[in-house]
Formats: sequence, C-alpha cells, structure tokens
Amino acid sequence: MSSSSIPEQVGAGAVPPPQAHRGKRRRRDRESGWVTAALAAPGFLWIGFYLIAPLVIIVLVSFWTWTDAGFDKTLTTANYRELFNDSTYWENMLSTVITSAIAVVACLVLGFPVAYFLALKVQSLRIQIALFIIALAPFWTSFLTRAIAWTFPLMGREGALNQVLIKLQIISEPLPELGFSTLSVRLAMIQLYILFMITPLFFTLAQVDRSALESARDLGANWWGTFREVILPQTMPGIVIGSIFIFVLTMGDYGTVATVGGGNITSVGTLINSKIGAVQYPQGAASAVLLVIVLLAGVWGITRFANLREEL
Amino acid sequence: MIETMASAAAPAARPQDTVVRREIKQRRDWAKWGLAVYFALFLFVLYIPMVLMAILSFQGSTGQLTFPFRGPFSIDWWRTLWDTNLFNTIADDVSASGRQSLWLALVAGVLVALFGFSLSMAFRRRWRLKGDVLAFYILMLALMTPAFLVGLGNQLLWRYMGETPSLWYTALGANVIWGIPFSFLVMLAVWNRYDRHVEEAARDLGADGPTTFREVTLPLVWTGIFGSFLFGFTLAWNDFDRTILLQNGYQAQPLPVLIGTWPQSRPILPNLYALGAGTTAVTLALIFVVLIAVTLRLRVRGAPVRRVEEEFGEEVGGSLDVAGTAELTKK
Repeated sequence: MSSSSIPEQVGAGAVPPPQAHRGKRRRRDRESGWVTAALAAPGFLWIGFYLIAPLVIIVLVSFWTWTDAGFDKTLTTANYRELFNDSTYWENMLSTVITSAIAVVACLVLGFPVAYFLALKVQSLRIQIALFIIALAPFWTSFLTRAIAWTFPLMGREGALNQVLIKLQIISEPLPELGFSTLSVRLAMIQLYILFMITPLFFTLAQVDRSALESARDLGANWWGTFREVILPQTMPGIVIGSIFIFVLTMGDYGTVATVGGGNITSVGTLINSKIGAVQYPQGAASAVLLVIVLLAGVWGITRFANLREEL
Repeated sequence: MIETMASAAAPAARPQDTVVRREIKQRRDWAKWGLAVYFALFLFVLYIPMVLMAILSFQGSTGQLTFPFRGPFSIDWWRTLWDTNLFNTIADDVSASGRQSLWLALVAGVLVALFGFSLSMAFRRRWRLKGDVLAFYILMLALMTPAFLVGLGNQLLWRYMGETPSLWYTALGANVIWGIPFSFLVMLAVWNRYDRHVEEAARDLGADGPTTFREVTLPLVWTGIFGSFLFGFTLAWNDFDRTILLQNGYQAQPLPVLIGTWPQSRPILPNLYALGAGTTAVTLALIFVVLIAVTLRLRVRGAPVRRVEEEFGEEVGGSLDVAGTAELTKK
C-alpha cells in the first residue's frame, strides 16, 4: 500500500520519522484492512457457497461411482472411460462447438456495423442513447420467451418466414429446414445472443479517439486503411470480450436448444440435462467437466487474438 | 467600447490579417445512411418475432400458432391469464408463478445490489494490489460460468448435503451469483467517474465518516446501486437455465419455468403467446421508463453548478452543513 511505503522513504532520508507516528500509520492500515475484508466478505462468502463449492463438487462427483440413489464416494475413472467411448457425446460436442463458432463469427460480422453506426455515426448524444436503449432492450426480456417467439410464429413449416418466401416466389415449397432443425437453432442463437457482442463493441468503439480518425484521413488513409490501422486495434478488447461472452453462453446453452430444437436437436447441454434427469449424476458431472475443458480451450484461443490483460 | 479603442489603435489593415473563408464542401456521408438502413433492418429482425407473437395472441377462439390471423380480433386468449371462469383458464398458475417470480426477483435484486456495492467499495479501497487480481478473476468466473453448470453444481451440492434443492435456498443463491459481477462492473464504472475530492471536502468541513457516506457518497452513486438492483431483478426474473435444475415440484414455478416447460407439459395455444407478450411488454415498459428517468437525471446533474455562495448565501464561511451539499446534488 502506498501510504505505508511513504514513511520508509522518508526514513531513508536525513530525518527519521518519530516512532509514534509510524505506529499510528500501521494501526490505521490494519483497521482499514479489516474494513476492506468486512466489505468483501459477504459477496465472496456467497460466491464460495453457491459457485466455488458447486464447481468443486462437480469435479469430485465426476470421479465417484454411480448408484441408484445418486452417487457413492468410491473413486473411479469409469465415468470418463465411458464418455471417451461414447460417440454420441463427441458428435454432440462437435456440433455444439460448430454452433458456437458460427454464432461468434456471425455475431461479430453482423453486430459490428450496428455498434459502429451507433458509436461513431450518430452525432447527437441524445439520439445515440435512445437508439442504444432500443437496440439493447430485448436483452432485459426473457430469452425463453424470445426463443418461443422465434420458433412458433416465425420459423417452422407454416411459420411466417416460409409464408413470406413463398409469397415472394423465392421458394415454391415450404423449407422444412426452418422447422425444429439445427439450422433454426443456429439462426436463433445469433438473433438471441448478438446483443452480448454489440454492447462491448459499442463501448470500445465509443472510446475510439475521433481525432485519430481524422488524422488517419488527413494522412491519406482510405476507409479500409483507417479501419484496419486505427479502429480495429482499438476495438480488439471489445471484440475479444464479446466473442468470449457468445462462445461461453452458446456452448452452455440449454433452454434455447430445447425450445427451438423442439426436442429433436441435442447439444451437450441437453445431453447433460437428460443425464441429470435420469439420476446419472457422475456421468453428468464428467460430461460437464469435459465441456468446461473444451470451453476453456476455446476461450484461450479467443484471447490469443489480443492480449486481454494488457488491455485491461 | 474596448473594440473601438482597439480598432483606433490598430494600424491600417494588412493583407495577411484578412481571413479568407472558403466554403467547406460538405460531402454527403453515404456510409452513414447505408449503416442507418442496416440498423433499421437489425431492429426489425430483433423485434419481429415478438411483434408477430403479440399479434397472434389477439386472435379469436379458433386461433392457431401461425399466420394467417384467425379473427375476429379479441382478447379472449389474454383473459385466460386472469379470468378463472373461462374453461381453458390458466389464471391460477399464472398468478402463483407471477407472485413467485416477483418475490424471487425482488430479493435477488436487493441482494445483488448490496453485494455488488460492498464488493466495489472493498475494491475501491485496495484496487490493484496483492490478492485483488485473484478476487477479480473469481468475480469474472461468476460471470462466465455457464448457467447449467451453476445449476448442476448446486444440485449436486445439495444432494451431497442430503437436502432437496429449493427455490428460496438454492435457486435464489444461484441467480444472485450471476447478478453480482454485473453489479460489480456497474459500480466500478460509477466509481471511475466519481470525484473523490467531494468526500475530502466534506471531511474538511467537519463531517465524520458515516455522515460523509450518507450525505455525500450515497446520493452521488445511488443510480449505480439502482442499476445493480435492476440487473439482479431482471436476471432473476428471466432466468430459466439455473432455476429449472434447482426448484422442486412442491413449490409454484417461477414464470420462465412455467413458460419453458409449457411445450412439454400442455397444449401450445395462443394463450402462451399472450403470456409471453404480456411479460415481455411489462419488462420492456419498466426498462424504458427506468432508463429514461435515469438518463434525464444524469443530464440534470450535468447542468452547470452555480457557485457555492449563490447557493447558500453569504454565510458559507465556517459551518457549511453537509446536508446542504446533498440538497445541491438533488436539484
């Protein structure tokens, strides 16, 4: 702490500080340390009980033995061995990773112009705030309701989208792929989660120094050059944070897949959920641990794009 | 007066003093208009499913789940949500679930606001020091852990302890976990803008710690605390992935669980649309009102501050009561 280092610096000089003064400083530091601990304690106790302990228990249970009643504390690696030989699990893992990768890229490509427009092209602050609120408002509503609204009235064999496409004579028959399908799930993921990309992008784009943009133009850079050399490096943290958000949320998603897929489509999330429903806790826990490993690998891959800690 | 003197004193106009004004050619920003059209399209895709759902909830009794709209226009499907006399009523479920959800979300919001505020106060005291990095990563872990992992882990933990997970002891806790990092980040943003000198000023004017906190700090950061509450409230109000794993069958289900399990448990009729559109409309209205109110308030606070003497008259000298400072910020 900086305040405790000051007396020492003074002590190194000509005049040693009085001892009493030094003791008082120490006591104040200790008191303030207690206050800090008291302020931090409730939140971290809550997190310890409802987040850390559950995560630890998942890892433990994944090494325990399955019984009819749940689990037995006998250590085993059978759960993992079964999983490694379970091709359904890995097919689902692959399809979930592909879904998430598509969602990340699509949200970035489709969301960037939105954030760019809001942050840099809207001049009036009041309009900017208003448009941002309108664009962000669905984030506050229920994802499940949005998934239902996406599935039943819009998509599906008889959904509005198929009807419009037929009216416009783009297709002659309703597309069955728009029903309870992988394509529908992937489209829904983009529509549901894109706001998690736009928000961090907006905040980093809004911080881009506008005079740097003008300088780039004055120095002869065209639009693409300005974008690549000025805007992109400055928005990297936003891109990384948004990508991590989307990747993690879509990998762990359960509700959207179950609703939009209508029970036909499975993901790692729905697989684990059905294992839990069948009281196969150790297998479910092991599947979850493997999912987390894939998840962390993905997040690590994303952070390679920019050194996030340095930016923070 | 001064101008005439200056012009009298100035020598004859030199050519380099004349300012040449050339019209700056304003090019039309085509990119802006293209992006505006794209933005409108984005909003359309974002909102169209909910709009379609709302339209279809106003169908007549032969209404189905897809277009065409089967008339006549009526609120019959909406009435099944509250009118217990209709044969296909779901009023009992809706009111029980609604009440459950409301209480759950309110408590979660209050807890999230409290935890986030006290955590941010702790970080504000010792920001960027030993242990802080670890604590910060733990908070980010709370943000990044997928919902169903939290649900699964808590369920296993309670089984391990020999208990049945319940809405109030388990699901509430898991919902608050997600809210804490949001609240913490909101409060960090608030503290970043916060001018610490006002606290020093209050202390120099004789206010003790609690008074400073109550009269100076709190009025300046309450919007952040309220924003935290709002985060906690809406996250818990909408949560499905955590709650579905952590409730038990003996309690009324919260609204998202009622909606989410609907397609498996009962026929899908336009009253599901009515319920979805209703809850969405309530949430949207609440958010718009609150955000607009907060925006207005922020603008008012941004107004130029008058000098202290004007505000308090001549007697500022020795004993400026700190309550007066709070009054000033309230205006």
